[in-house]
Amino acid sequence: MVSAAVMLSVVLALVWLLWLARDVGSRIASSRWIGALALALIPVWLYLVAWYAPIEAVQGIIQKIFYVHIPAIIPTYFGFVLAAIGGALYLRTRDDRWDQLAVAGAEVGVVFCTLMLLVGPIWAKPAWGHWWVWDLRLTTTLMLWFIYVAYLFLRSFAFGSDTAKTFTAVYGIAGIAAIPFVYFAVDLAQGSTLHPSNPAREGLPPEMGRTVGVGMITFIWIFAWLVAKRLELASLQARALVASRVGGA
Amino acid sequence: MPWVVAAYAVTAVVLVGYALQLRAARSAALRDQQRRS
Repeated sequence: MVSAAVMLSVVLALVWLLWLARDVGSRIASSRWIGALALALIPVWLYLVAWYAPIEAVQGIIQKIFYVHIPAIIPTYFGFVLAAIGGALYLRTRDDRWDQLAVAGAEVGVVFCTLMLLVGPIWAKPAWGHWWVWDLRLTTTLMLWFIYVAYLFLRSFAFGSDTAKTFTAVYGIAGIAAIPFVYFAVDLAQGSTLHPSNPAREGLPPEMGRTVGVGMITFIWIFAWLVAKRLELASLQARALVASRVGGA
Repeated sequence: MPWVVAAYAVTAVVLVGYALQLRAARSAALRDQQRRS
């Protein structure tokens, strides 16, 4: 039930973002409803974390960190997949709106990936006794983060250039090849990893599963709202760039 | 407990910080647009 709601949220958020990217200027008002939805979900998620999900028998209270760490994975992957979708649509149409969607997806994806990489060590220190270990899951996640930070650097160094847009579109499509390595890292490590396996396969108790699910749905809508705001900014900056070129001519 | 509080505080700082940064950039872009028009 909760996993179906998570999937539905991903599909609805994707459809809405594709619709929004086609005409940000006149459709951005719809982001208020998405922002309100995300804001309404936050207290529900926090309530479930604090009072509904039981304290895990082995790890104790620190296991509650999972309810922010695990949900951050979905927007991370979503953002990078959005960068690939936007990149593919840009290569096909040469329409700047899809390029703006790709950059927005990559940037907000990096924000959530950063969050995941910051929160993970806060759990690891009391659980493992180390902030970081060069485990396959952790290393591949860090590699994924570097891939998309490099993407954003490329864009910031070559603002407005068509060559940069084409190059980053191809780079964004190629970049998602790293996602399966991160997702299946625990399986690939064949037992030589400290990182817990994917929660979908662990079979969490129902209260914990529902709390993780509501956390994922909350983060998906926060992600969608942030991408919308980033798209609006890109649209404003593109208009300013055109105006400056017209003014300078 | 302090680890849990730290994790949720970091989450709030990252997400709210990014949203505020977007808002500041949007205001700057709008100001720029008004100055040009």
